[in-house]
Amino acid sequence: MAEEETNVPSGSDAFDATQYHEVVSGDTLWKISERYYGDGSLYKNIFEANQDILKDPNVIKVGQKLRIP
Amino acid sequence: MKRNLVGLGIVLLVSAFMLAACGDGGKGPAEEAIKAAEAAVATAKADAGKFLPDDLKSLEGALAAVKDKFAKGDYKAVVGEAPGLVAKANDLVASAKTKKEELTKSWTTLSEGLPKMVGAIQSRVDILSKAKKLPANLTAEKFAEVKSGLAAATADWAKAQESFKSGNLGDAIALANTVKGTAVQAMGILGLPVPAGAK
Repeated sequence: MAEEETNVPSGSDAFDATQYHEVVSGDTLWKISERYYGDGSLYKNIFEANQDILKDPNVIKVGQKLRIP
Repeated sequence: MKRNLVGLGIVLLVSAFMLAACGDGGKGPAEEAIKAAEAAVATAKADAGKFLPDDLKSLEGALAAVKDKFAKGDYKAVVGEAPGLVAKANDLVASAKTKKEELTKSWTTLSEGLPKMVGAIQSRVDILSKAKKLPANLTAEKFAEVKSGLAAATADWAKAQESFKSGNLGDAIALANTVKGTAVQAMGILGLPVPAGAK
Protein backbone atom coordinates (compact mmCIF):
# COMPACT_ATOMS: atom_id res chain seq x y z
CA MET A 1 0.00 0.00 0.00
CA ALA A 2 2.83 2.38 0.89
CA GLU A 3 4.40 1.75 -2.48
CA GLU A 4 1.28 2.85 -4.28
CA GLU A 5 0.66 6.01 -2.31
CA THR A 6 3.02 8.78 -3.15
CA ASN A 7 3.00 12.32 -1.86
CA VAL A 8 4.72 13.96 -4.79
CA PRO A 9 6.80 16.85 -3.51
CA SER A 10 6.54 19.93 -5.67
CA GLY A 11 9.76 21.41 -4.31
CA SER A 12 8.59 24.98 -4.16
CA ASP A 13 5.43 24.08 -2.30
CA ALA A 14 6.17 22.43 1.01
CA PHE A 15 2.49 22.62 1.98
CA ASP A 16 1.13 20.83 -1.05
CA ALA A 17 -1.45 18.51 0.46
CA THR A 18 -2.39 16.65 -2.68
CA GLN A 19 -2.68 12.89 -2.32
CA TYR A 20 -1.66 10.72 -5.24
CA HIS A 21 -2.24 7.11 -6.13
CA GLU A 22 0.06 5.34 -8.52
CA VAL A 23 -1.93 2.94 -10.65
CA VAL A 24 -0.90 -0.71 -10.37
CA SER A 25 -1.99 -3.74 -12.34
CA GLY A 26 -5.63 -4.63 -11.61
CA ASP A 27 -6.62 -1.14 -10.49
CA THR A 28 -9.84 0.47 -11.64
CA LEU A 29 -11.22 3.84 -10.63
CA TRP A 30 -13.99 1.99 -8.80
CA LYS A 31 -11.45 -0.01 -6.77
CA ILE A 32 -9.36 3.07 -6.05
CA SER A 33 -12.47 4.92 -4.94
CA GLU A 34 -13.44 2.05 -2.68
CA ARG A 35 -10.03 2.09 -1.12
CA TYR A 36 -9.82 5.82 -0.41
CA TYR A 37 -13.51 6.65 0.07
CA GLY A 38 -14.99 3.34 1.14
CA ASP A 39 -17.46 3.62 -1.73
CA GLY A 40 -16.66 2.72 -5.33
CA SER A 41 -19.56 4.74 -6.68
CA LEU A 42 -17.66 7.93 -5.81
CA TYR A 43 -15.06 7.19 -8.54
CA LYS A 44 -16.24 10.22 -10.55
CA ASN A 45 -14.51 12.48 -8.03
CA ILE A 46 -11.19 10.88 -8.99
CA PHE A 47 -11.98 10.93 -12.68
CA GLU A 48 -12.92 14.63 -12.60
CA ALA A 49 -9.77 15.51 -10.64
CA ASN A 50 -7.62 13.86 -13.30
CA GLN A 51 -9.23 14.96 -16.52
CA ASP A 52 -5.88 16.29 -17.68
CA ILE A 53 -4.61 12.71 -17.97
CA LEU A 54 -7.80 10.62 -18.12
CA LYS A 55 -10.23 10.75 -21.03
CA ASP A 56 -12.27 7.69 -20.14
CA PRO A 57 -13.03 6.54 -16.58
CA ASN A 58 -12.71 2.95 -17.74
CA VAL A 59 -9.18 3.42 -19.06
CA ILE A 60 -6.33 3.93 -16.64
CA LYS A 61 -2.73 2.89 -17.16
CA VAL A 62 -0.24 1.25 -14.83
CA GLY A 63 2.18 3.89 -13.52
CA GLN A 64 -0.20 6.82 -13.87
CA LYS A 65 -0.23 9.07 -10.82
CA LEU A 66 -3.79 10.01 -10.03
CA ARG A 67 -4.77 12.86 -7.74
CA ILE A 68 -7.12 11.72 -5.01
CA PRO A 69 -9.23 14.71 -3.95
CA MET B 1 31.84 98.78 61.71
CA LYS B 2 28.11 98.49 61.06
CA ARG B 3 28.66 99.53 57.43
CA ASN B 4 31.32 96.84 57.09
CA LEU B 5 28.95 94.16 58.37
CA VAL B 6 26.23 95.18 55.90
CA GLY B 7 28.78 95.05 53.08
CA LEU B 8 29.93 91.63 54.11
CA GLY B 9 26.35 90.46 54.23
CA ILE B 10 25.72 91.66 50.67
CA VAL B 11 28.87 89.94 49.44
CA LEU B 12 27.84 86.67 51.07
CA LEU B 13 24.33 86.91 49.63
CA VAL B 14 25.57 87.57 46.09
CA SER B 15 28.04 84.71 46.42
CA ALA B 16 25.25 82.40 47.49
CA PHE B 17 23.14 83.40 44.46
CA MET B 18 26.09 82.87 42.14
CA LEU B 19 26.74 79.44 43.58
CA ALA B 20 23.11 78.51 43.16
CA ALA B 21 23.08 79.73 39.56
CA CYS B 22 26.35 78.23 38.38
CA GLY B 23 26.98 75.24 40.55
CA ASP B 24 24.07 72.79 39.86
CA GLY B 25 26.36 69.83 40.42
CA GLY B 26 25.79 68.41 36.87
CA LYS B 27 21.99 68.44 37.06
CA GLY B 28 21.62 70.00 33.60
CA PRO B 29 23.67 67.38 31.71
CA ALA B 30 21.96 64.67 33.73
CA GLU B 31 18.56 66.01 32.70
CA GLU B 32 19.62 66.04 29.07
CA ALA B 33 20.96 62.49 29.34
CA ILE B 34 17.68 61.27 30.82
CA LYS B 35 15.66 63.01 28.13
CA ALA B 36 17.74 61.32 25.45
CA ALA B 37 17.33 57.93 27.12
CA GLU B 38 13.58 58.43 27.50
CA ALA B 39 13.24 59.38 23.85
CA ALA B 40 15.24 56.31 22.75
CA VAL B 41 13.17 53.98 24.93
CA ALA B 42 9.95 55.57 23.62
CA THR B 43 11.11 54.94 20.06
CA ALA B 44 11.87 51.30 20.86
CA LYS B 45 8.51 50.81 22.53
CA ALA B 46 6.36 50.47 19.41
CA ASP B 47 7.86 47.30 17.92
CA ALA B 48 9.71 45.97 20.97
CA GLY B 49 6.47 46.05 22.95
CA LYS B 50 4.98 43.62 20.40
CA PHE B 51 7.92 41.44 19.51
CA LEU B 52 10.36 41.60 22.46
CA PRO B 53 8.25 42.61 25.47
CA ASP B 54 10.59 41.09 28.06
CA ASP B 55 13.58 42.97 26.68
CA LEU B 56 11.57 46.18 26.65
CA LYS B 57 10.50 45.62 30.25
CA SER B 58 14.13 45.16 31.27
CA LEU B 59 15.11 48.37 29.48
CA GLU B 60 12.28 50.31 31.09
CA GLY B 61 13.41 48.99 34.47
CA ALA B 62 16.94 50.26 33.81
CA LEU B 63 15.55 53.65 32.80
CA ALA B 64 13.49 53.82 35.99
CA ALA B 65 16.63 53.04 38.01
CA VAL B 66 18.53 55.87 36.34
CA LYS B 67 15.65 58.27 36.94
CA ASP B 68 15.67 57.23 40.56
CA LYS B 69 19.35 58.13 40.78
CA PHE B 70 18.51 61.51 39.27
CA ALA B 71 15.82 62.06 41.88
CA LYS B 72 18.39 61.30 44.58
CA GLY B 73 20.81 63.82 43.08
CA ASP B 74 23.34 61.29 41.84
CA TYR B 75 23.84 63.21 38.61
CA LYS B 76 27.28 61.79 37.94
CA ALA B 77 25.87 58.27 37.84
CA VAL B 78 23.03 59.42 35.58
CA VAL B 79 25.41 61.01 33.09
CA GLY B 80 27.50 57.83 33.15
CA GLU B 81 24.64 55.35 32.70
CA ALA B 82 22.00 57.06 30.55
CA PRO B 83 23.98 56.94 27.28
CA GLY B 84 24.23 53.18 27.70
CA LEU B 85 20.44 53.03 27.78
CA VAL B 86 20.26 54.92 24.50
CA ALA B 87 22.57 52.35 22.94
CA LYS B 88 20.53 49.47 24.38
CA ALA B 89 17.32 51.04 23.10
CA ASN B 90 18.81 51.35 19.62
CA ASP B 91 19.90 47.70 19.74
CA LEU B 92 16.40 46.75 20.83
CA VAL B 93 14.90 48.60 17.85
CA ALA B 94 17.17 46.60 15.55
CA SER B 95 16.38 43.28 17.29
CA ALA B 96 12.65 43.98 17.19
CA LYS B 97 12.88 44.71 13.49
CA THR B 98 14.64 41.38 12.90
CA LYS B 99 12.07 39.54 15.01
CA LYS B 100 9.24 41.22 13.11
CA GLU B 101 10.78 40.15 9.80
CA GLU B 102 11.12 36.54 11.03
CA LEU B 103 7.51 36.44 12.21
CA THR B 104 6.27 38.02 8.99
CA LYS B 105 8.11 35.36 7.01
CA SER B 106 6.59 32.62 9.18
CA TRP B 107 3.14 34.12 8.71
CA THR B 108 3.58 34.33 4.96
CA THR B 109 4.57 30.65 4.80
CA LEU B 110 1.68 29.57 7.01
CA SER B 111 -0.88 31.78 5.30
CA GLU B 112 0.06 30.36 1.92
CA GLY B 113 0.28 26.75 3.08
CA LEU B 114 -2.51 26.21 5.60
CA PRO B 115 -5.40 26.93 3.21
CA LYS B 116 -4.06 24.14 1.00
CA MET B 117 -4.08 21.69 3.90
CA VAL B 118 -7.51 22.75 5.12
CA GLY B 119 -8.79 22.68 1.53
CA ALA B 120 -7.56 19.10 1.08
CA ILE B 121 -9.27 18.02 4.30
CA GLN B 122 -12.50 19.81 3.36
CA SER B 123 -12.48 18.17 -0.06
CA ARG B 124 -12.03 14.71 1.44
CA VAL B 125 -14.67 15.34 4.11
CA ASP B 126 -17.13 16.51 1.46
CA ILE B 127 -16.57 13.35 -0.58
CA LEU B 128 -16.65 10.98 2.41
CA SER B 129 -19.87 12.60 3.60
CA LYS B 130 -21.52 11.24 0.43
CA ALA B 131 -20.07 7.74 0.85
CA LYS B 132 -22.46 4.91 1.65
CA LYS B 133 -19.79 3.47 3.91
CA LEU B 134 -16.47 4.78 5.18
CA PRO B 135 -13.02 3.40 4.25
CA ALA B 136 -11.85 0.41 6.25
CA ASN B 137 -9.45 2.44 8.39
CA LEU B 138 -11.94 5.17 9.31
CA THR B 139 -14.64 4.79 11.95
CA ALA B 140 -17.72 7.01 12.19
CA GLU B 141 -16.40 8.40 15.49
CA LYS B 142 -13.06 9.31 13.97
CA PHE B 143 -14.78 10.89 10.99
CA ALA B 144 -16.94 12.97 13.36
CA GLU B 145 -13.73 14.02 15.13
CA VAL B 146 -12.26 15.15 11.81
CA LYS B 147 -15.37 17.18 10.99
CA SER B 148 -15.37 18.97 14.34
CA GLY B 149 -11.61 19.55 14.02
CA LEU B 150 -12.15 21.02 10.58
CA ALA B 151 -14.80 23.39 11.92
CA ALA B 152 -12.45 24.46 14.73
CA ALA B 153 -9.55 24.92 12.31
CA THR B 154 -11.69 27.06 10.01
CA ALA B 155 -12.76 29.25 12.92
CA ASP B 156 -9.20 29.53 14.26
CA TRP B 157 -7.93 30.42 10.81
CA ALA B 158 -10.44 33.27 10.57
CA LYS B 159 -9.27 34.50 13.99
CA ALA B 160 -5.62 34.24 12.91
CA GLN B 161 -6.31 36.39 9.87
CA GLU B 162 -8.09 38.96 12.04
CA SER B 163 -5.10 39.05 14.40
CA PHE B 164 -2.77 39.58 11.47
CA LYS B 165 -4.93 42.39 10.08
CA SER B 166 -4.90 44.12 13.47
CA GLY B 167 -1.10 43.93 13.55
CA ASN B 168 -0.84 41.21 16.18
CA LEU B 169 1.60 38.91 14.44
CA GLY B 170 2.41 36.86 17.53
CA ASP B 171 -1.22 35.87 18.11
CA ALA B 172 -1.76 35.32 14.39
CA ILE B 173 1.11 32.84 14.22
CA ALA B 174 0.10 31.09 17.43
CA LEU B 175 -3.41 30.56 16.04
CA ALA B 176 -2.02 29.48 12.68
CA ASN B 177 0.10 26.87 14.43
CA THR B 178 -2.99 25.63 16.26
CA VAL B 179 -4.71 25.29 12.87
CA LYS B 180 -1.68 23.43 11.56
CA GLY B 181 -1.77 21.00 14.49
CA THR B 182 -5.48 20.34 14.02
CA ALA B 183 -5.01 19.89 10.29
CA VAL B 184 -2.11 17.47 10.74
CA GLN B 185 -4.19 15.41 13.16
CA ALA B 186 -7.16 15.34 10.77
CA MET B 187 -4.95 14.36 7.86
CA GLY B 188 -3.54 11.51 9.91
CA ILE B 189 -7.03 10.21 10.65
CA LEU B 190 -8.10 10.53 7.03
CA GLY B 191 -4.96 8.85 5.72
CA LEU B 192 -3.90 11.97 3.84
CA PRO B 193 -0.16 12.59 3.47
CA VAL B 194 1.08 15.36 5.76
CA PRO B 195 2.98 17.97 3.70
CA ALA B 196 6.67 18.38 4.46
CA GLY B 197 6.15 22.00 5.51
CA ALA B 198 3.72 20.99 8.26
CA LYS B 199 5.99 18.39 9.84
